[in-house]
Amino acid sequence: MSNLKVFTKGLIDENPVFKLLLGMCPVLAVTTAAKNGLGMGLAATAVLLASNIIISMLRKVIPAKIRIPAFIVVIATFVTMVDLVMEAFVPDLHSVLGIFIPLIVVNCIILQRAESFASKNSVFRSFLDGLGMGIGFTIALMILASVREIIGAGTWFGVSLFGASYEPMRLLTSPPGAFITLGLIIGLINVLKPKKA
Amino acid sequence: MDTNKLTVSSSPHLHAGGSVRSAMLHVLLALAPATVFAVYYFGMTALLTVITGVVAAVAAEAFFLWVMKKPITPVRDGSAAVTGLLLALNLPAGIALWLVAIGAGVAIGIGKLVFGGIGHNPFNPALVGRAVLVISWPARMTAWMGPGLISAATPLAIYRDSGNAGSYRDLFFGFIPGSIGEVSAFLLLVGGLYLLYRQIIDWKIPVTYIGTVAFMMWLLGPEGWFTGDPLFHVLSGGLMLGAFFMATDWTTSPVTKTGRIIMGVGCGLITAVIRLYGGMVEGVSFAILLMNAFTPLIDRYTMGRRFGAR
Amino acid sequence: MSRSFRGGVHPPHRKKSTEGLPIEHLAAPSVVVIPVQQHIGAPCEPLVAVGDRVLMGQKIADCAARVTAPVHSSVSGKVTAIEMRPHPNGRDTRAIIIENDGLDEKVAGLTPCPDIDLMSREEIIAAVREFGIVGMGGGAFPTHVKLTPPEGVTLDTVLLNGAECEPYLTCDHRVMLEWADDVIYGLRCLMKGAGVEKGMIGVEVNKPDAIATLQKAAESYGNISVVPLKVKYPQGAELQLIDACLGRKVPTGKLPLNVGVIVNNVHTAQAIAQSMKTGMPSVDRVITLSGACVERPGNLLVRVGTLFSDILKERGQKCEPKKLVCGGPMMGLAMYTPEVPVCKCTSGILALSAEEASYEEAMACVRCGKCVDACMMLLHPLFISQYGERGMWERAEEIGALDCRECGACSFICPARRQLTQTIRLAKSDIYANRSKK
Repeated sequence: MSNLKVFTKGLIDENPVFKLLLGMCPVLAVTTAAKNGLGMGLAATAVLLASNIIISMLRKVIPAKIRIPAFIVVIATFVTMVDLVMEAFVPDLHSVLGIFIPLIVVNCIILQRAESFASKNSVFRSFLDGLGMGIGFTIALMILASVREIIGAGTWFGVSLFGASYEPMRLLTSPPGAFITLGLIIGLINVLKPKKA
Repeated sequence: MDTNKLTVSSSPHLHAGGSVRSAMLHVLLALAPATVFAVYYFGMTALLTVITGVVAAVAAEAFFLWVMKKPITPVRDGSAAVTGLLLALNLPAGIALWLVAIGAGVAIGIGKLVFGGIGHNPFNPALVGRAVLVISWPARMTAWMGPGLISAATPLAIYRDSGNAGSYRDLFFGFIPGSIGEVSAFLLLVGGLYLLYRQIIDWKIPVTYIGTVAFMMWLLGPEGWFTGDPLFHVLSGGLMLGAFFMATDWTTSPVTKTGRIIMGVGCGLITAVIRLYGGMVEGVSFAILLMNAFTPLIDRYTMGRRFGAR
Repeated sequence: MSRSFRGGVHPPHRKKSTEGLPIEHLAAPSVVVIPVQQHIGAPCEPLVAVGDRVLMGQKIADCAARVTAPVHSSVSGKVTAIEMRPHPNGRDTRAIIIENDGLDEKVAGLTPCPDIDLMSREEIIAAVREFGIVGMGGGAFPTHVKLTPPEGVTLDTVLLNGAECEPYLTCDHRVMLEWADDVIYGLRCLMKGAGVEKGMIGVEVNKPDAIATLQKAAESYGNISVVPLKVKYPQGAELQLIDACLGRKVPTGKLPLNVGVIVNNVHTAQAIAQSMKTGMPSVDRVITLSGACVERPGNLLVRVGTLFSDILKERGQKCEPKKLVCGGPMMGLAMYTPEVPVCKCTSGILALSAEEASYEEAMACVRCGKCVDACMMLLHPLFISQYGERGMWERAEEIGALDCRECGACSFICPARRQLTQTIRLAKSDIYANRSKK
């Protein structure tokens, strides 16, 4: 696999949300507004990038039998850092995302990348992989959150789009709306993307 | 005899002659009295709502089928028209028509076609459409009107607030505020009996559903055991419409005999619980949607003994 | 009060055009095609060779196996060929082709049997075998085998099936009406042959004249009763008939003899009586010729081996048939050619017009549950058919695919026009095929 492919596969072909359906908990829960989606995406990207690099560096040191606890320790370290940084600099967003920031620790995207990629590949390739997957995750969250915010609240990043007379479709910002929107987007992607032979 | 023209096929070589299309037309016919009464009672706005609902549902089915590059002939089976009409009958008079159109589109698109079209949808499409509208635009969906489009509280809401049941005659014949199609218990009963006579629906679901609601309401009355007003609860709200026309929906209700009784009783219990203890004053549509979810499970475990089983 | 069973459907009767017509003798054709297998069981071996002259009633094929029945010539004439010919069951089968010389010269040695009171049980069974009697309702099971149940089974009742629940068919009706005494005599033969004391005849109440005639004929026999049955399809299905008449349910996978009953068609009983009285084996039978395409429908006494095409030519054709059905419209088989012979079990020939045999494309199952209400075996045809279509045979078997008797009620009633009976039939054969693989 070329380095370029390592980076781009996370964007569409192996998009963690739309293709692998990983990390559904934050995906469904925080995507009520584009801002939340972006914040969550970037936070997860930061953790993923850092943990991929560190785990890749340590891949020859970590014994196979205890690799999962070891990965978790690394990931938890970065999650704590990101959590504190967000609380310090973007307290509003931090309070909205709430428990979902600490929960990045158990986000299966990050653990899955550590397990199936970073622990087997070089530091540079792990960096590319983490970056690609992180951006793919962020894009997916952004698409989902934008659709839900625009239709469900009539705003985008908090900016009113259609004026005061628009009556938003509240369903989309409610939990069932997350499932329905995600399902429809995945369906649409499957229809648009030509099937592999 | 030209042997090339002989059709060879598996037996039986006769057919009863019924079709899904004719059944759907009978359902439309059965709903006609209640619809006509609604137009008389609420005025032209009710007619516009009904027409919008039916046209939007049929158009949505044709459109989505076309988008999915499927043949659009299934539109002819009439099930989309039934969905559109049932949705319209579940809406308050005077509701904005764009809302009706969205509801119909959602009912057909998300309630039916995403699962594979007729026969594959787990939930009653009209109720899916209604549920989406209630969640999205709660204020508009509970703006009940009386005749002349004057805002009025429904009997169920009045009863909950004041314990006043009003006149049974008005409840029975439909001179009450409420959704377009639910007001006249009498005409819905006529339509339901017509469907029973035509053997399109089974008596088990409506009878057990209405019976359970009546019993529960009588049992759990406001002044202790057995002090409730079963008649009021049977005649008010969407119970008649739901019990005869929506809980009996072929695709989303059980096919087994025992299963149909469970369906009716389950719907009745959930409706009673929502009316007695829920945040909403009416619970028919959510009761039916909830029981729809159990339908495959009910079918699976109520197949019963086969002939000659030991 | 008429008795019945759970489930069932009400197909249009369409018996009006023939039920009032007396049985007519149809002249024997110039050539008969007599298959060596007209029964369930081992096929017979021809006893004659090409060029032989055979006489009417002469045994022309037999076999040593237990489950089989001999075949006799229905005309006198010359054997012109022994070759593969289309059979009503759809497959080509070996048949003896005889050119009729028109003399109907009977074979020597056909002597009437003594009165059954003077015959032993064994003699009756042997006679029934030698006469080549098989189930004439359509099953074609050799009757003498039914009369000799395996060790440990005690029979107590012989039940005659006069329900004739299939639409169009009226041949059993006419047999009961015109030859009631023969039916009762045949029933008494069967009772003595089976060693039982009780005889019953189940008849649907849409044939009140037949019920009255049979009751009169059975008057002097206290142990024979006529049971009026509700008009419902498939009232004549063996298990449902036993349930309705005796209140006994044959357990899954068992035979009627396990509940002490043997069931025979009324025409079979009549054929036994006829053979006993004349000594002439089973070489003719009454069929109903009907359907909108037939010029002169009727109940015809025809020789075994007469081709459908000869009968249709003789009785005229009003229009081009869409389907040619052997048997009743609910369970009968559609023929691909009219060049098939009447067998001992052929109850009817129906030339159906396009309107009668209406066909429409199937759509998705809408789960209306009508097939569940219609199924006489209390199965769930919609699920069996769906499991079958998806290759989930184990699940199909679990919910009773093998109990299906293929009566056709589910396909008949289905508003989505799904071919339930056909898919269940396929599922059954797949289940059996899978079993034999293991």
